[in-house]
Amino acid sequence: MDRAQYLNILEKNLKSLKKEETDDILQDFTEYFEIGIERGRSQQELMNSLGSPKILARQILFESYVKQAEKSASAAHIGKAVFTSIGLSFFNLIFILPLFLIIFSVLSALFIFAVVISAAGVTGAIGSLFLPLISQYVTFNTFIHPAVMAFAFLGLGAFGVIFFIGDIFFSRFLFRLTARYLRFNLEIIRGRRQQDEG
Amino acid sequence: MNTQFKKGVLELCVLALLTKKNMYGYDLVNEISKNIEISEGTIYPLLRRLKNVGYVTTYLQESQEGAPRKYYKLTPSGLKITGEMQKDWEDFVKKVGSLLRGGDING
Repeated sequence: MDRAQYLNILEKNLKSLKKEETDDILQDFTEYFEIGIERGRSQQELMNSLGSPKILARQILFESYVKQAEKSASAAHIGKAVFTSIGLSFFNLIFILPLFLIIFSVLSALFIFAVVISAAGVTGAIGSLFLPLISQYVTFNTFIHPAVMAFAFLGLGAFGVIFFIGDIFFSRFLFRLTARYLRFNLEIIRGRRQQDEG
Repeated sequence: MNTQFKKGVLELCVLALLTKKNMYGYDLVNEISKNIEISEGTIYPLLRRLKNVGYVTTYLQESQEGAPRKYYKLTPSGLKITGEMQKDWEDFVKKVGSLLRGGDING
């Protein structure tokens, strides 16, 4: 492997980044090789001191995704960071992925619950208002006044909406927590790799 | 020395070097790896992180040898954090030192 191939592998493994960022990174390492060779070090020596281009790319990528995830806690970024860290070691495959899936399913369930409750509240409220009109066709054995029922359903609907808003805050909190966990995880992976090398 | 321990102080080393003068990537890497044994590739992601959090900025400057070089320069917030980190580090070393000496006497 020569310097061009090294930079090529690095570039290929960085392709999920923005082009300007990739160019900037490649520029840094091109400069590193140029100056190193000027100072009389060999290509091989320089490549050895940088380490594997794939591992280098993963370190850079993970740094970048975790940064994005922390800045804007969006599911797509978290997903990217999760999958990059899965690439980092097998440990993550059995550790982060189930965690991520659990968080995702719990959040989905909560959102579905909120939507169902809101919908039930709204339909119930409307239904109760029209009950006096349709009561001659439908026999509906109840001692509760339709107005009371309408308000009760309205309350249920309002609860659903508040629950939905609560869900949004809760999921933001979880995303932030996941981002922090990923950073912590990166530190562990780094530590482990160094111990393996050393 | 433990590698993980070295890594932790690497950031402080980069910042401390930049308090003396603005440097380009290769010289920073070289200066550090002269004193601390570390994979040189790991310093570049670290430099990017320091730039992203706003502790350093970069600018290009022509060189006699050829292509312009990217220089790293401390920002005011970077200078402030370096002072704080240096203080923390010295405090830590002092405490560990006294602990170790204490251990010597008792052991």
